[in-house]
Amino acid sequence: MIKILLVSEDNKNIEKFSGIFSKNSYDFSVMSDETLIFDVISADPPDVILIDATMPNLKNFNKKIKSICENTVIIFLINSQKIDKELIKYANAFFTDEMQEDFILSTININLRMKNSLDMLSNSNKDLADSLYRLNALYSTSSQFAGTLDKAKLIQYMIEGMDKALSFSLTCTLSMCNGDEPVLILNSLYELSEELVEALKLRTILNYNSVFEGKEAPVKINGENLKIIKQVKYPASRFTFNLFQFDNMFAPIRLGETFFGCIEIFKETSFTPEDATCFQTIAQQVSVPLKSAALYQEIIETNAKLQKLERLKSEFISIVSHELRTPLTSIKNSLDILISGRCGEITPSADKFLSMAMRNVQRLSGIINDLLDLSKIEAGKMEFNFAPANINTVIDYVKSALSEVAKSKGLTIVTDEAENIPDITADSQRLEQVLTNLVSNAIKFTPENKTIKISSSLVNSKDIKINEYFKDTIELADSDYVQVCVEDQGIGIAEKDLLHAFDKFAQIENSLSRKAGGTGLGLPIAKQLLEAHNGAIWCDSELNKGSKFYFVIPASNILSTV
Amino acid sequence: MKKILIVDDEQDIVESLKFVLEAADFTCYCAYNGEDGLRLAKEIIPDLIILDVMMPKINGYKISRLLKYDAKYKNIPILMVTARTQEEDKLIGEETGADEYITKPFELDEVVKKVEEYLK
Repeated sequence: MIKILLVSEDNKNIEKFSGIFSKNSYDFSVMSDETLIFDVISADPPDVILIDATMPNLKNFNKKIKSICENTVIIFLINSQKIDKELIKYANAFFTDEMQEDFILSTININLRMKNSLDMLSNSNKDLADSLYRLNALYSTSSQFAGTLDKAKLIQYMIEGMDKALSFSLTCTLSMCNGDEPVLILNSLYELSEELVEALKLRTILNYNSVFEGKEAPVKINGENLKIIKQVKYPASRFTFNLFQFDNMFAPIRLGETFFGCIEIFKETSFTPEDATCFQTIAQQVSVPLKSAALYQEIIETNAKLQKLERLKSEFISIVSHELRTPLTSIKNSLDILISGRCGEITPSADKFLSMAMRNVQRLSGIINDLLDLSKIEAGKMEFNFAPANINTVIDYVKSALSEVAKSKGLTIVTDEAENIPDITADSQRLEQVLTNLVSNAIKFTPENKTIKISSSLVNSKDIKINEYFKDTIELADSDYVQVCVEDQGIGIAEKDLLHAFDKFAQIENSLSRKAGGTGLGLPIAKQLLEAHNGAIWCDSELNKGSKFYFVIPASNILSTV
Repeated sequence: MKKILIVDDEQDIVESLKFVLEAADFTCYCAYNGEDGLRLAKEIIPDLIILDVMMPKINGYKISRLLKYDAKYKNIPILMVTARTQEEDKLIGEETGADEYITKPFELDEVVKKVEEYLK
């Protein structure tokens, strides 16, 4: 029924309108004290207010009514043609004494239709504003989700997001940020009594178990292992309700496919279907960042483990090589003294065995050096002295250093050095190490009376021919390279072993190389040293015919010189 | 006769060095830890010191620094013996004042040659 309120002291007015409205079945009431009107209309807003314009206390009256019930139809009763400007601002219509019933009713009806439209508009506006607010809350929660990889923070953002979007009275969030340690976060407007906390705890455990539908939950939760965190907004007040007086919603929180926790939310008033959608959306939204956070945490942990392993490895190698070197030095020194004859004459057979011991001490010492080098390169701790260097000088040095050894095996080292080779930026000591290794290998694996050839040349990368075994693993820039080739007429390398020639300990598998001596670390070290020079190494080989080891270094190398 | 101080916690190494150096007509004094080494260096003022790096109490680098920054001893040549571990390499970057580094395992004859060079 349409409610009409008349504010007037004038009995004439009261009689007239009560006659009209009661006849036409309106809910009609009268107020004769205008000062009480605000209390009345805010408790029970009327559809139409008729106000006697002659009443004394009308200052700011209209504005106030509009602020309480904005679409209420306000009609002034006037007895002259002169209308106060202030009244016009808020009035929907004016009635004079002369106006007849039909006119009055039709004016009220027109205004009521207008009021209905306005009411509808206001309601849609309010809904729209609500949705916008909720959307904003969802959006800001999503942004927060995207900004962190901390599981506990994600849960906190989820609760805050729900507070913004749904303005709850109380949430109960069960989360398992630290593996098997379940935590119950009670986020509440007011302080919770111990009984209420206990009830919420039991409820959450029931909820938790219900998620697994009778199957055994992966982590058993009971009153003892469930840690409680209370977050109270207004601790001065206390909830006096019991749980049954609250409306509630429940959702599980997942971490990808697995269960991570659950959230239950309580409110003193009822939740709407929109509230439910919003609630489920946020609870689902947190799942993806939680998964990322879990993966991130895993990466961090793995990384820390790897770093620790790497450190242990370096320490291990460092300690082992120190511990090995010291006794080795004593053995070597003793052998030196004995072999030098300073302790008396040595028989030929004693000399044979002393020399054997000496050879193996040197071999052991070589292995330790190689291991140290390799571990340093791999740890990125190898220091290079890059400076202008000439590859032909390196070749000459290695040739003269190894000629004697070659000669003792009946081998000849020949060189073929191109004259147009420019100086390159390199650590010449390291290049000597690489070339010494290649030539020593050639000496080791070449039978008597053969020749080992070291050659140098300046080539463009497009003229460099790399065989099918290596071409996929070597990438050369489009520029000039200085190339060195060590060619022997030795036993060669079988096709199947060619690819692994530069792997660590590759040759230790090979019994022949064991006889020949060597650690199997020389070539991998050479490879790493050349890669540090932006260079590359590979080899061509034919079984029982011989091998050709090539290495290249960019002719104009950009390396920081020391 | 020239006096040489050998400081190394590894007695076997000290022994072998002493043997070859005495054979080359040097007088050898030996210390088996850093503390004794430093004390002996100041006491006998040797013509040359062979100094191990890794030793208990005071390591070789520290001894070298202490002697080299002291006008009384700074002219004594120091041959530093290192096992070239990463830990020692890290320290080697620091200013120790040592005149020469010898890597373990070393050639005894080479050490003798070096000593003779410094004491020519």
